[in-house]
Amino acid sequence: MTVTFSAPRLETERLILRAPEIGDQDVHAAFFMSERAKFVGGPTTAERAWRLLALEVGHWVLRGFGRWALEEKATGKFVGIVGNYHPVGFPEDELGWDLFDGATGKGYATEAALAARAYAYDTLGWTTLTSMIDPANTASAAVATRLGAAYDYDFTHEHFGPVQIWRHPGPDTAQRPTYYRSLP
Amino acid sequence: MTAAPTLHTDRLTLRHHRLEDFEPMATHFATDWAQYMGGPLGQEKMWLWLAAEVGSWSLLGHGSWAVDLTATGETIGQVGINKPVHFPEVEIGWLLYPGFEGHGYAFEAATAARAWAFENGHDTLVSYIDPPNARSIALAERLGAVLDKDADKPDPDDLVYRHNRRAA
Repeated sequence: MTVTFSAPRLETERLILRAPEIGDQDVHAAFFMSERAKFVGGPTTAERAWRLLALEVGHWVLRGFGRWALEEKATGKFVGIVGNYHPVGFPEDELGWDLFDGATGKGYATEAALAARAYAYDTLGWTTLTSMIDPANTASAAVATRLGAAYDYDFTHEHFGPVQIWRHPGPDTAQRPTYYRSLP
Repeated sequence: MTAAPTLHTDRLTLRHHRLEDFEPMATHFATDWAQYMGGPLGQEKMWLWLAAEVGSWSLLGHGSWAVDLTATGETIGQVGINKPVHFPEVEIGWLLYPGFEGHGYAFEAATAARAWAFENGHDTLVSYIDPPNARSIALAERLGAVLDKDADKPDPDDLVYRHNRRAA
């Protein structure tokens, strides 16, 4: 007997949100093993990078929700990871985003996070969401601010060290994406 | 996404991991019991390891199973066919929680997992074992695995025991 699980495929204006796949490995590892990952626990070893990618998939199986790989519709390129995340060691359910080299500055994190947040509130029925942000990560704080989130409290994470927890507006007031839908 | 297929042996059920497997596993891995398995591990790393071995089924087509006593439903350990990127080859690994050793359960679980791997495209597997882990060495030998002194290994101190399909 084989057991299968599925992650929904979502579409936004410029992105497809889909389950991470083995073909994502090189791009994912290149990011997490580089200095660019310094605010999200990196640079990591190859071993940890592999486990981080496999964890993204295992998270869907174990928790029934997770983060999506972002595919740029125009190019088909894997440009980042965004979604609803709760690894053990995080204080609350979180909305997380990691955008890879060349994919920042285009509003992709905001576009995908709006869809992931709408999915959490309107499909999963969640009532609140947080984002864990390194105090020095001004780019990520700017995304959180654009999403309407605000600093809530400090937290010390086992691997990341001291971080800030930002809280998103709840389901009643959170901005929804201009366009997003589930794909068959 | 794919999860582990359910396998049955005389006394055991090998099944895909569920969220409730985490707490008991983390409790054991936080102690010196885990010294030959990369431990002791904190919660963050334990989640990374477990969730990755679950995700491995979708990414690579193999990964870890939780091992239950069929009669009672009690979870007694884990067996896995894994290849994290730093392993030169696909490994079969096993662990039993404290108190369940000495009944042949690890042998039974590893035999089933290995048979599954040999039926699903693998011709050879290795087990990386810490030299002082006499219990695991004894099990590898009981399984018919042979010490391979020439094999690449993730840690220079590891012993590499090789399982070949034709010999099993």
